[in-house]
Amino acid sequence: MSTTLGQRPGAGSPAPEPRKALGQSRIRVLPSAISGQEFVLLGVIAVLWVILAFATPAFFTAGSIQPLLVAMAPIALVGVGMTIIIITGGIDVSVGAAIMVCSVVTAKLLVDQGLVLPLAVLVSVLVGGALGLINGLLIAYGRVHAIIITFGTANIFLFLGLQIFGSSTVNNIPQTFDVFGRGVAGRTFGIPHAFLITVIIAAIAWWYLRHTAGGRHFYAIGGDAHAARLAGVRVQRRILLAYLITGLLVGLASCFVIAQGTSTLDQSVGTGKELAVIAAVVIGGTSIMGGRGSVLGTLLGALLVQTVTSGVTQLGWNSQLSDLFVGIFIIVAVGADLIRERARRAK
Amino acid sequence: MPTDESTPATTSPAQQQEAAPGSGLARLHLTGISKRFGAVRAIRNADLTVRTGQVHALVGENGAGKSTMIKIISGVESADTGQIEFEGAQVAISSTTDAMALGIATVYQEPQLFAELTVSENIFTGREIRKGGRVDWTAQNDRVVELLELLGLPGKYATAAVGTLSIAEQQQVSIAKALAGNAKVLILDEPSAILTDAEIDVLFTVVRRLTASGVSVIYISHRLDELFRIAQQVTVMRDGQTIGTYPIEELSVRQIAELMVGGILSDDRAERVVPEGEPTLVLSGLTRTGKFHDVDVAVKRGEIVGLYGLVGSGVSEIAACIYGMDRATSGQILLNGKPITPHSPQHAQRLGIALLPANRKLEGMFSFQSIAFNISAGHLGLLSKFGIFVDRAREKTVARDLIKRLAVKTPSERQAIGAMSGGNAQKVVLARQLVERPEVLVLAEPTQGVDVGAKEEIHRIITELAESGSAVLVVTSDLAEALRISDRLQVVRGGTTTVEFGPEATQVDVLAAAAGSVDEEGNAA
Repeated sequence: MSTTLGQRPGAGSPAPEPRKALGQSRIRVLPSAISGQEFVLLGVIAVLWVILAFATPAFFTAGSIQPLLVAMAPIALVGVGMTIIIITGGIDVSVGAAIMVCSVVTAKLLVDQGLVLPLAVLVSVLVGGALGLINGLLIAYGRVHAIIITFGTANIFLFLGLQIFGSSTVNNIPQTFDVFGRGVAGRTFGIPHAFLITVIIAAIAWWYLRHTAGGRHFYAIGGDAHAARLAGVRVQRRILLAYLITGLLVGLASCFVIAQGTSTLDQSVGTGKELAVIAAVVIGGTSIMGGRGSVLGTLLGALLVQTVTSGVTQLGWNSQLSDLFVGIFIIVAVGADLIRERARRAK
Repeated sequence: MPTDESTPATTSPAQQQEAAPGSGLARLHLTGISKRFGAVRAIRNADLTVRTGQVHALVGENGAGKSTMIKIISGVESADTGQIEFEGAQVAISSTTDAMALGIATVYQEPQLFAELTVSENIFTGREIRKGGRVDWTAQNDRVVELLELLGLPGKYATAAVGTLSIAEQQQVSIAKALAGNAKVLILDEPSAILTDAEIDVLFTVVRRLTASGVSVIYISHRLDELFRIAQQVTVMRDGQTIGTYPIEELSVRQIAELMVGGILSDDRAERVVPEGEPTLVLSGLTRTGKFHDVDVAVKRGEIVGLYGLVGSGVSEIAACIYGMDRATSGQILLNGKPITPHSPQHAQRLGIALLPANRKLEGMFSFQSIAFNISAGHLGLLSKFGIFVDRAREKTVARDLIKRLAVKTPSERQAIGAMSGGNAQKVVLARQLVERPEVLVLAEPTQGVDVGAKEEIHRIITELAESGSAVLVVTSDLAEALRISDRLQVVRGGTTTVEFGPEATQVDVLAAAAGSVDEEGNAA
C-alpha cells in the first residue's frame, strides 16, 4: 500500500464541503452581476456626491451634472475596450496618442471637406480601428508584452498625429459634432447623447462579456492563456479582437473629444488620456493581472474619477489635488485586489 | 553491477495485439512515432495500441518520453514521423482542437483551470453550449451537475468559482472537464500524485465506470502499485522508446521497475570511507502539512546522503523547506545539534547551509552576467576591499582558478553565463559554493538537463566537496544519480522517508521502494 500525505483538506470524505464558507455571490448560475468592489464604488460615489451637494449647492443641478457626464463619456467609452484588454492580461498605453490621431484626422477633414456627421464618425472609427488593429496584430502574433508594443506604438502615433497637425492647432472646426457636445444640441430629455451612447455600448459589452462564449474566453485567456489554448480557445484571435474593439471605441471617443472643445483643436488633445482610462478600469475592480473585471466597474470608475475632478474644480481647490485623489484611489483599488489575491493563494 | 533482465521476454506490440486479453478493438494505434526537440530525441520509433474500454498504463522513468507521447496524442506537439490511427482510420492530430474533435481528452498533472470562472464555465470553456448568440447557462449547469455527481462532488459546486476549491477538487473538475466532451480516449497524466487515498478510490470507481461504457483510458503514474488495481495493459518506455506492452497480470511491480531501468549503467562509483562523528545536519520529524511529514535524515561531515523520490513524492518540497523557501509546520532542522529555522534562502546561507537550487535558470544564476560575477555573487564580503568595493582583480583570479579546477569550457571568465551550456553553467553555480568551503551543502537536482560528460564532472565535484569536509545532501529524482553519488540513500514516498539503502543497493530495489510495494519480494528492506 502506498502511504498518502496526511492532513489533506477533504481527505476521506467523497463529497467535501467548499473549504471556505462561500457567500451567496459564489453560488450562482451566472457570474455575479455586480461585485463587492462595485458596491463599494457606488457607495463612495454616493458619499462624494452628498458631500459635494452640501459643499457647493450648485453641484446637484443639471448645469453641473450634465457636463460631468459629457466629460466622463470618452474615458468610459475607451475604458470599455481597455477593460477587455486588461481582462486578457494585456494593457494599451497608446490610446491617448490614438485619440490624438483620430481627432486631428477627423477635425481636419471636417474643416477641409465639410464631412457630414455619419461620415465623420465613420472616418474616426475606421482610423481608430486601424490603429487598434496594428496594436493587436503586433501583440497577438509578435509575442512581445503588450506594454512594450503599445509604448512603442504610442510614440509612433504621437509622431503621426503631430505630423498631421502641421501647425499648432486646427481652427474653425464646424459644429457637426455638437450633437455629442455640452450644448442643448447634445441632449435629449436632458440626457447628454455622448453619455447615452457610452452607456448603450457599455451595456452591449457587458452582455457580450457575460453571456457569450467569445466574451467568457477573454476571462479564460487572462486566467491562464496556456490552459485556454489547450481548451481550444483561439487565443491570438481573441487578443487581436480586444485591441481592435478598443481602437474602434477610441475612434468614437475622439468624436466626443472634438465635440467637447470649442472650434479649435490643439496638440495637447489626448495627452494623458491613457492614464485616466487605465485608472478608471483599475478603480473599477478589473484585476491588472487579468482574468477578472467588469465593464460596469469601469463605468463607475470613470464616474468616480470625473466626480473627483469636477468636485475639486467646483470647490475652487487647486486642480492638482484631483491627481492626488485619483492616485490614492488607484493604490487603494490595486491594494484591495492584491490582498484578495493573496488571501486566495494562502488557502 | 548490471541489473539482469529476469522479466518476461519482451514482446513486440504487434504480437501483443493478438495476445491481448479483453476483446477490445484497437481504438488508438500509434506506430513509428519519433519526435525531436533540437538535439534531443525525445521519442524514437515508439508504438502504442490502446484498446476500447481498457485502462492502458504508460510507465517510465523521468525523461523516458511519456509526456512527449501524451503531448503528441493530445495535439500539443506533433510527431516528426510515424502514423496515428483512430478507430481504424489514419488521422492527423495537429492541434488540441483536432484531438478533442476525435474524442481524445487529457487531464494534465497541473489542473488547467481558470480560477475566476465557475466550475461550470471551466468545464465548457472552448465548447460552450450555445442558444442563439449566448451561452446556455442552464443547460451547461445541468450537464455539469450530472458530471460532478458522477465524480462524487456536490452538484452545487457547478456554480462555485474554481479558485475557491481545493487542489484535489480542482483535479476532479479537470476530469469532469475531460468527460464533458464525450471522450472516447481519456488521458490521465499522474492523476494520483495530488490525490489522497479516498480520492483515488473515487477516481478508480469513475475510471471503471467509464471503461465499462467503452471509454479507453491512458493512465500515467509513478505509483506502480496502483496500476494493478486499475490497468489491464501496461506499456513501458525507456530512453524515448517503447520497450514493450504487457498484460498487467503477467508482471510484478519489481518486474515493471526492471523494465523501466533496463540493464543499463554499470556501477562505477568509487568506494569512499565516511569519517565517523556526530551528524552535522539533521532533519528530525520534519513536517509541512499537506506536503510531507515525519522526515528523518542525518548527514555527517564528509558524507553524501541522497534523498530520492519520484515526482509528487514530496522530495522537492523537503528541499524547499531546508532552503528556507517554505516553513516547516513541525519537526526540526538541526545544524551541529542546534535547531535552526531558515526563513529565506539568504538566511539559510547565513546559518551555514550552502544551496544549489533545482531551477538554475530561475534561482541559481544571473544569466546576463559574467562567470566571474556569478562566482563572486554571495561572497562579496570575501572578495571586497574594506567590505565595500569588489576587488575585481581578486574576483578574476578566483574565477580563473575555479574555471581551471572545474574544467569549465569557456573562452574567458567574462563570458555571460546565460550563453553557456546547461552543464557548464551548473559547474559555475557549483563553483560559487567552492569559494567558501561550506559546512553543509544541499543540492537539488544537480544534474537536471545536463549532458552525460558534465554530469560526471559535477558528480566528481560533489564528491570532492564531501572529501574536503562538507556534509552533502543531494535531493534528486534521478535514480541513477541518487545511487551513484550517495553513501547512503533515503527513499521518500508518499511525503515521508521510508527505506534507507546503502551503496550496494540496485536501481530496481530503490525504484520498487519508491514506487510502492516495499515488501513485495522481500528484498527492498
